[in-house]
Amino acid sequence: MFKMMFGLQWKEFNRGKSVGGKLLAKILKWFGIIYFAFMAFLMGMIASRYGGPSMEFPVEEDTIAPFLFLNKQLIYVFAYLIVVRYFIQSLPVLNIRALLLTPILKTKIVRFSLLKTVLTYFNILPLFFLMPFSFLLTSSGNYDITALIFWNINIIGLIYITNFLNFLLNNKDKLLYTIGGLLALIKGLEYYSIVDFTDYSEQFFYLFYSHPYAVAFTWLLVFWLYGYVHKYMLQGLYIDTGLQVKIKEAKMEDFSFLDRFGKTATFIKNDLRLLKRSKRARMAVYMGIGCLFYGLIFVPSEEIFGPGLMFFGYLFSTGGFLFMFGSFVPSWDSQYYPLMMTQNIAYKEYLNSKWSLVIIATLISTVFASVIYSFLGTNAVYAVLAGALYNIGVNGYLTLWAGAYTKTPIDLNSSANAFGDKKAFNAKTILVGIPQMLLPVVVYYFTSQYYDHFTGCLAVAAIGTLGIFLKPVAFSLILKAYKTEKYSTLKAYKSN
Amino acid sequence: MIKIENLIKKYSKQTVLEIDSLDIPIGQTFGLIGNNGAGKTTLFSSLLDLIKPSKGRVINNGIDVSESEDWKSFTTAFLDETFLIGYLMPEEYLYFIGELRGLNKKEVDAFLAQFEDFFHGEILGGKKYLRDLSKGNQKKVGVIAALIGEPKVVILDEPFANLDPTTQIRLKAIVKDMSKNKDVTILISSHDIQDVTEVCERIVLLEKGRVIKDLVTSPQTLKELESYFKGE
Repeated sequence: MFKMMFGLQWKEFNRGKSVGGKLLAKILKWFGIIYFAFMAFLMGMIASRYGGPSMEFPVEEDTIAPFLFLNKQLIYVFAYLIVVRYFIQSLPVLNIRALLLTPILKTKIVRFSLLKTVLTYFNILPLFFLMPFSFLLTSSGNYDITALIFWNINIIGLIYITNFLNFLLNNKDKLLYTIGGLLALIKGLEYYSIVDFTDYSEQFFYLFYSHPYAVAFTWLLVFWLYGYVHKYMLQGLYIDTGLQVKIKEAKMEDFSFLDRFGKTATFIKNDLRLLKRSKRARMAVYMGIGCLFYGLIFVPSEEIFGPGLMFFGYLFSTGGFLFMFGSFVPSWDSQYYPLMMTQNIAYKEYLNSKWSLVIIATLISTVFASVIYSFLGTNAVYAVLAGALYNIGVNGYLTLWAGAYTKTPIDLNSSANAFGDKKAFNAKTILVGIPQMLLPVVVYYFTSQYYDHFTGCLAVAAIGTLGIFLKPVAFSLILKAYKTEKYSTLKAYKSN
Repeated sequence: MIKIENLIKKYSKQTVLEIDSLDIPIGQTFGLIGNNGAGKTTLFSSLLDLIKPSKGRVINNGIDVSESEDWKSFTTAFLDETFLIGYLMPEEYLYFIGELRGLNKKEVDAFLAQFEDFFHGEILGGKKYLRDLSKGNQKKVGVIAALIGEPKVVILDEPFANLDPTTQIRLKAIVKDMSKNKDVTILISSHDIQDVTEVCERIVLLEKGRVIKDLVTSPQTLKELESYFKGE
């Protein structure tokens, strides 16, 4: 039975359109996973000797400190795990309808889609951290090995709780907002140092070391949650419940104030409606907002990562929407691409409207990013502005150009059902973006090394400005790519 | 109006379309009939430059469709649901198409007024997005959208299929009415020999990508087509 289901999935992968692209994405994804596994392993080793910022590294005498410090941090580890899972982990997508009338038991369909997630890399990667960490701790001889094993089993149990919780978060909006609010509250209380949750975290997680039998509760919860999700998914297997597309009441939206911009506005109006009405497209906006704060990640560790990576952070902060939306032009229109190709519009106007939308969003991001990073001083603002110019003058074209070759159809309506693919963004999008980020970072790095920070920013900004002036040239090249790819794109979108 | 010259479409070794020459004069209401796989949709797709022919070319009003995009200003089409934008409301969609064809909201509203009957009060003023409409209602919107802006060439792929009887009768009346206008060339494909003989002035029968029959519609046409499809 499981063999057959895997067989179906294999055929779906193998016989779909653009297998080459998918394969490449898979290979890149696995490189990423291996990289993260390696990093996790390394961090596990370091963490076993790291007793917190106030202690010297490596810890020599107080060998219990690293363990306590990790327990302190675990609450945030799990909080981030929940968030990252929600945004990145894709739930199994099955062609459920076709299976409903086959003699396969419904429970088996559900069990298959649930158990398939058990071995996902989100559940496996933490082991690469836990194993060296625990092993090095025990080698100090100060730990009770059995208790430490139970502590590990408890952590694994909690990881699986987040795994099954993710199913519910993806389907129950109320739960999503509750958990999201809770996480934000925890972060907020900690940020303003009203409550320090790390102490509770330490006590809570240490409990599983001092009282190993407590692990039973965690695993009872895992099985209970599995059962609950199982039941929930089972209920969703009727075409008028979980598989039904929820119909929302439609409301007209006018946007006629945009009319003065001519034909470009005609498309921008549609794209605004797309962003408002399609969950997948809305994600692009959320990601754009999220990316505004991306540069802050590198701030506390500027000395470790160096100025190059800092600059990368600033660059990304204004380019979030550009990458998340721009990389999927023209895929956003994949469902009605034949319409677009036969209407009274030139390709140029179509591309120009998409470009304008992306640029407007980048400009808005720039304003916000400048405000956010102004707290870090003028140097940060210079970097933000240089990055924004580069995004406008170079990356805007590059994402559009890459879009001509992406050809992944996006099913805008699929997100409405419980088994549908909700993720528009995956490892692939991010990986496409990396080369576009590399050049400005390299340019900045070398000029700032030879001269100073300001010159480095100026050099990147100059490239961006040059790009803005070269718009006609860039557009004619992009246009050419779109025209030669037109027929194969139409064909690829048909396989939707 | 439309000239097809030596058009061949091959997928690997299989030839799905092979038309030496076909002329459709201005103002003709042209019907295309054939079984599944006869090449009807392939022909329409190549008229619209949605697929690239292996050989030959399509000339629309003197314009080679694969060379220039100018034919788009006077040609409209509705082939299937990929011509609809699911996240728009019917009105928004029709305004959008109207805008692309140089019509403002008021003009589109005036144009739509004549189809009130056809829409049967189910489409305009509703609270649904196109993606949530039934297949039949989606088709109604798509077909009407293809008539906006006084096109010179209208291409409809199986417009009568999946429609309820009342709508079928009304749509036929609309097409017949339009064919009186000798400026508009209409191309229709169908599986139903009754439908095409009823509305088209000329009927071309395709089989495995080739033109088998090219008939001017007359009272005998229906019989002739019937006996062909019976295999006599």
